[in-house]
Amino acid sequence: MMNKHVFRTGWKKGAMLALTLTFGLAVAGCGTATPSKDGAQATGSAGQAGAASTDQKLVVYSAGPDGLAKKLVAGYEAQSGVKVELFQGTTGKILARMEAEKANPVADVVVLASLPSVQGLKKDGLTLPYPDAKNADKLNPDWADKEGNYFSTSASALGIAYNTKLVKTPPTSWADLAKPEYKDQINIPDPSLSGSALDFMTGYLSAKGDGGWTLFEQYKANGVAMAGANQEALDPVITGAKSMVAAAVDYMTYKAKAKGEPIDIVYPKEGTVISPRPAAILKSTQHEQNAKAFIDYLLSDEAQKLVADASLLPGRTDVKADKRANLDEIPLLKNNWEWMGEHGPDVTEKFTQMFK
Amino acid sequence: MGVLSVKQIRAWSLTFALIALALLIVLPLLQIFIQSVYVDGQLQWSAPFRTLAASRFVGVLFGSIWLGLCVIAGTTVLALPLAWIMSNTRLASWRWLDVVLLIPFMTPPYIGSMGWILFMQKNGYLEQLFPSLHFLTPFFFSFGGMVMIMSLHLFPFLYLLLRGALVRIGGSLEEAGAVMGGGFLYRFRRIILPLLLSSYGMGALLIFVKTIAEFGTPATFGRRIGYEVMTSEIHKYISSWPIDFGKATSMASVLLTACLLVWYVQSVINRKYTYRLIGGKGSRPSRLRVSGWTTGLSIAFILLLLMASIGIPYFSIIAASTMKLRGIGLAWDNFTLDYYKELLSWGSESMEALLNSVFLSLGASTIAVMLGTWFALVIGGSRTRLQRTVDAFSLLPNTVPGIVMVVGLILWWNSPWMPIPLYNTYGMVILTYVVLFVPYTVQYVKSAFTQVDTALFQAGQVFGGGPSYVFRRIVLPLILPGMLAGWMMTFTIASRELVGSLLILPPSVQTSATYIFAQFEQGQVSLGMAMAVISVGLTTLLLILMESLNSQRKWK
Repeated sequence: MMNKHVFRTGWKKGAMLALTLTFGLAVAGCGTATPSKDGAQATGSAGQAGAASTDQKLVVYSAGPDGLAKKLVAGYEAQSGVKVELFQGTTGKILARMEAEKANPVADVVVLASLPSVQGLKKDGLTLPYPDAKNADKLNPDWADKEGNYFSTSASALGIAYNTKLVKTPPTSWADLAKPEYKDQINIPDPSLSGSALDFMTGYLSAKGDGGWTLFEQYKANGVAMAGANQEALDPVITGAKSMVAAAVDYMTYKAKAKGEPIDIVYPKEGTVISPRPAAILKSTQHEQNAKAFIDYLLSDEAQKLVADASLLPGRTDVKADKRANLDEIPLLKNNWEWMGEHGPDVTEKFTQMFK
Repeated sequence: MGVLSVKQIRAWSLTFALIALALLIVLPLLQIFIQSVYVDGQLQWSAPFRTLAASRFVGVLFGSIWLGLCVIAGTTVLALPLAWIMSNTRLASWRWLDVVLLIPFMTPPYIGSMGWILFMQKNGYLEQLFPSLHFLTPFFFSFGGMVMIMSLHLFPFLYLLLRGALVRIGGSLEEAGAVMGGGFLYRFRRIILPLLLSSYGMGALLIFVKTIAEFGTPATFGRRIGYEVMTSEIHKYISSWPIDFGKATSMASVLLTACLLVWYVQSVINRKYTYRLIGGKGSRPSRLRVSGWTTGLSIAFILLLLMASIGIPYFSIIAASTMKLRGIGLAWDNFTLDYYKELLSWGSESMEALLNSVFLSLGASTIAVMLGTWFALVIGGSRTRLQRTVDAFSLLPNTVPGIVMVVGLILWWNSPWMPIPLYNTYGMVILTYVVLFVPYTVQYVKSAFTQVDTALFQAGQVFGGGPSYVFRRIVLPLILPGMLAGWMMTFTIASRELVGSLLILPPSVQTSATYIFAQFEQGQVSLGMAMAVISVGLTTLLLILMESLNSQRKWK
């Protein structure tokens, strides 16, 4: 990977140099290209080694929910005195930004809402292992990386959200949504936009085998509509344009319910999938110590309490949530994360084609 | 003094314009192209073609083009009568209408679409107000509905161009036609239409590229009806895992080629049908054919248009922004202003976002107008190949989907060898807005400039005016309205720009648009809608202020 990286930027530099010259723009950029880059790298690493104690900065890219990310950052800032720059977006936005910044990475820590994508980062050698993270042993082992490349510090579960004014007796099984009484009344999030929806689909398929597609075929036949990311799928159910969301992210539903909206969620009896939300340090970090301290903070009692208060499942097994169903109350499918990571793109493709 | 130095100035100006355009626009886009042929660390020239060979792709491309053509038709139906009314009838004195008509254009497209969706959907506001009209829902959620929403969003744009052209045509030419016994239809066909064609061509082209490069409406409304276009495909590859810039950029290149082809056709039409209309003799508006019932009909048309383009979407937006619980719907005891209070409290995050938007777009629009005017003057009548190159380059940002342009800018400005540390600063945001919106000023100024007869400049020179004097006293006053329109346009769109801002804002910084988007993502639809009302209201106020200052100056 390192070799590839060097080769890549080297090639690009050459190409850009050539292009620049072709355009007759023998300007400052070309002449100083090589030294400025090497210089920047040298000062970068020197600064890191020599000035660890005066390093007061950290850049975090975090997927929502908005309020929680801000509280976590504020908590860490208060504890450490480090100034955090926070960029918030969906998992897709964050990955796009990282890709665009590939040649000159900015982020130190990323918090994503999808396990397969962080597994992808690990596979590409972009993550920095931190095996000594405090409290990492208390994390749910199913969602964490043994070598400490990522830490699932929170999670959501997927269920069926329904409008309580329109649905009087909620469905109890995934198969119920194929019943004729619900024809054209159900939304399902787009797996290409929602990492958790994709987790549900791949999780369901990994547990049920190829026969799992039958369920989605029945959904399609019953007029289930693919509708944007999670919140976009949920909103029409709140306003009553649709009755239910299949594979709804639970904490969003809890939040709307707490506000008083006519909405609730059920976890089907045959089991569902949990969508962990991993945090990882990037290998390119310029603020390694702060990044590690931030991970430690995310795993601390205080941060895990904030997670539970935001109606998410805490990543640590010894912390309980009181505003929502805890892990032991949610029936689970026997899903295979390895398989899910590998087959994500194919499932997305097949599913979006089917529901178009 | 004189000819030679003017020529020299022109040559230098042209060279610098090309360099500036290359640095700002062309090289960042080339970065994208490099990315598209460069797969997994290896150069693969065939990569884009492999993407394009994928079977679904052709359908998506035609989906985009068909949508673009239909929206041109839609905007024409709305803008042409309006432009005629506003240049030929007594209603032309309703100058406030120009500002009001910018509202649909200032409304972020995804917000406008949301407004329509909330109004028309099952159990939506229409059904809550008039339960018997629920049968309209399936008709609305169709391709026709999408064309309507997009036309209602984009028509002000075409209207401003067409009205400008009609005013310049003035009354005397048409009166001459009438004196010679030409009926209204004959005059329209033989006098107005040919004179209008170059402006219309320009406007229609811009509508076309705006439509096929638009992301907001396809993402909100198109997704509901399952209508796929290029931008939604590109966005998919660019923002969901696994990210594939290669596929996205290959598609973008095709989109770009399609747009350049259309541009070429337009420029041919333009060269063939441009006439010198401002010849120094002055012109006055025509008030030929205004009978009582024409005025009545005109008022009815305008009212209907305002109702559809502003009334309905803003009813939904405002209703949604004042609802305690969205699940309850329209009811007096469900009304609250809490969201506005929350937004406008001083020092709050939302206030900061709002101020960021205002200052960033003020900076960007001012720079964009200066750059754009310069480019437009360099382009002139696009007679030489170099001038046409400047023309094509300055149009590029309008023909590439915003998201692609923005990725190019990031790749370019965040390269390890880039000596200017602009990335992740406010400067980068301003630069991005400038690049994205400079084509507007270019278009407006060009449209004003190409219809000025060169005889005027020659007259200035004959009377001993140096280049700077001629520019100051003849060129500038004539292109000023174009510059002003460009400034207004840039300010309004920059203040609601979303796609670029999402990717390019430094961490911890928000604008009103990204704030709204974040609220929708977080399920705070009401808060987002309230912010939309405030930011659009604010821009409108600013424009009214400017318009009134402007008309006062005219009085003196």
